[in-house]
Amino acid sequence: MPIEKTLKDIVVRIVHCDEEILTPTSTWQDIKADSLDLVQVLVAVEDTFDIEVPDEDLSEFQNLGDFVKYIETRLAEKGNA
Amino acid sequence: MNKRRVVITGIGAVTPLGLNVKEFWAGLSAGKSGIGYISYFDTSDYQVKVDAEVKDFDPAKYMDLKIVDRTPRSVHLAITAAKEAMEMARLDMAKEQAERVGLVTSTMIENDYIIKGFETLQKRGPRRGDPLFITKVSPAVVSSQIGMLIGAKGPNSSVNSLCASGTDAIGTALNHIRLGYADVMITGGSDASLEATAIAGLNMLGALSREADPANACRPFDLNRSGFVYGEGAGIIILESYEHAKKRGAPILAELAGVGWSFDAYDATAPQPETQAVAIDITLKDAGVKPEEVDYINAHGTSTRLNDSCETKAIKIVFGDSAYRIPISSNKSMVGHIIAAAGAVEAVASVLTMINGVIPPTINYKTPDPECDLDYVPNVARKAEVNVCLSNSFGLGGNNCCLVIKRLSER
Repeated sequence: MPIEKTLKDIVVRIVHCDEEILTPTSTWQDIKADSLDLVQVLVAVEDTFDIEVPDEDLSEFQNLGDFVKYIETRLAEKGNA
Repeated sequence: MNKRRVVITGIGAVTPLGLNVKEFWAGLSAGKSGIGYISYFDTSDYQVKVDAEVKDFDPAKYMDLKIVDRTPRSVHLAITAAKEAMEMARLDMAKEQAERVGLVTSTMIENDYIIKGFETLQKRGPRRGDPLFITKVSPAVVSSQIGMLIGAKGPNSSVNSLCASGTDAIGTALNHIRLGYADVMITGGSDASLEATAIAGLNMLGALSREADPANACRPFDLNRSGFVYGEGAGIIILESYEHAKKRGAPILAELAGVGWSFDAYDATAPQPETQAVAIDITLKDAGVKPEEVDYINAHGTSTRLNDSCETKAIKIVFGDSAYRIPISSNKSMVGHIIAAAGAVEAVASVLTMINGVIPPTINYKTPDPECDLDYVPNVARKAEVNVCLSNSFGLGGNNCCLVIKRLSER
């Protein structure tokens, strides 16, 4: 399953928003996700993709598109390791 | 001291007999049992086979999905009962001064979440603990979640005195209003702590019924009683000062006239009738009620050998010979022992008893016990005018708390 679809499924499950409102430019504010949602999404992403997302990297993704690119990068780094 | 009068304007309940007050009363007045086989875990290797579960409850019907995800079952049950009570009381927070509306509730920690939290720690390590751990195991979460949901900014806390907790919470809320800290208190208890670790532990104390047949398991005051049945559920009551209720035209169901406490300081599990009698006596005095004015006692009546005989003795100490003419019954015979919410659910039942003029029975009563020789309203409900009701809660370990609920007399 493509990364974007997997991430969308995670966000819909945790934030309880409609999938239709999730676009590459959607921010956490746009989808009414609070800090507790963000932490849960993070943990779910780590579990699902088997990657680590250090706390200091959180500022790297301002929207869903950035988050997808971030996950792709981390997976690629893992593949090269 | 002139105490502010406090009245009950709304009640809500989610119990093994149903998901609202109407279903609860229908079951109680029909002598129906909410006790059945444990469905939450495989009991093949357990000596305890039965419990009293809330059935067919879908929290998503009553609250936002995020609340469902983030909070434990006790909060789901409590919010549902609170909504019912607030609707009955016609309590509209938009018309209230938020700082004058508060909450005191009781609950028990749900061990399931502690176990899952520990497993998460083992699996993911300390860097990635469960972010929902605290909201799921904090005993303060029932009061705080309801408070946040409705915007109540008055006193907000949780009490626990084991099996006396629900009554204790209501009594504490009563005093908050009497002392002027609030005009409205949403109070009661919610307990969904029923799970394998608790059952296994209580079984070691011999406290739980090991009867395989649900119909025989909970038999308060019966000669062959052998332990209580663990239950789950929520009971919520809206308390208001009499003046506040009259001013806003609230429906007044009854008066919460008195509360009393005592603590056995005796044994971790065995009760002491003399100290239970002290709690009853203090409650009657607080309510300004003489023993002979009590029409009905909603018993703690757990169906353990010790509680039921001790409670009988305590009643005789306070009431003397008139103990023999007061009907007494145990709601636990039908809904099991809902631990931290028991007293709250029983307070709701007491209000319903008064409103409907019917005393729910003590069911599964087959063989009288010479040590329990009072009138326990066996098996069949009884029509009766109840103007003054005493509700007892005697916790494991010695926490005793009682309430007097009276028919309101306008004066």
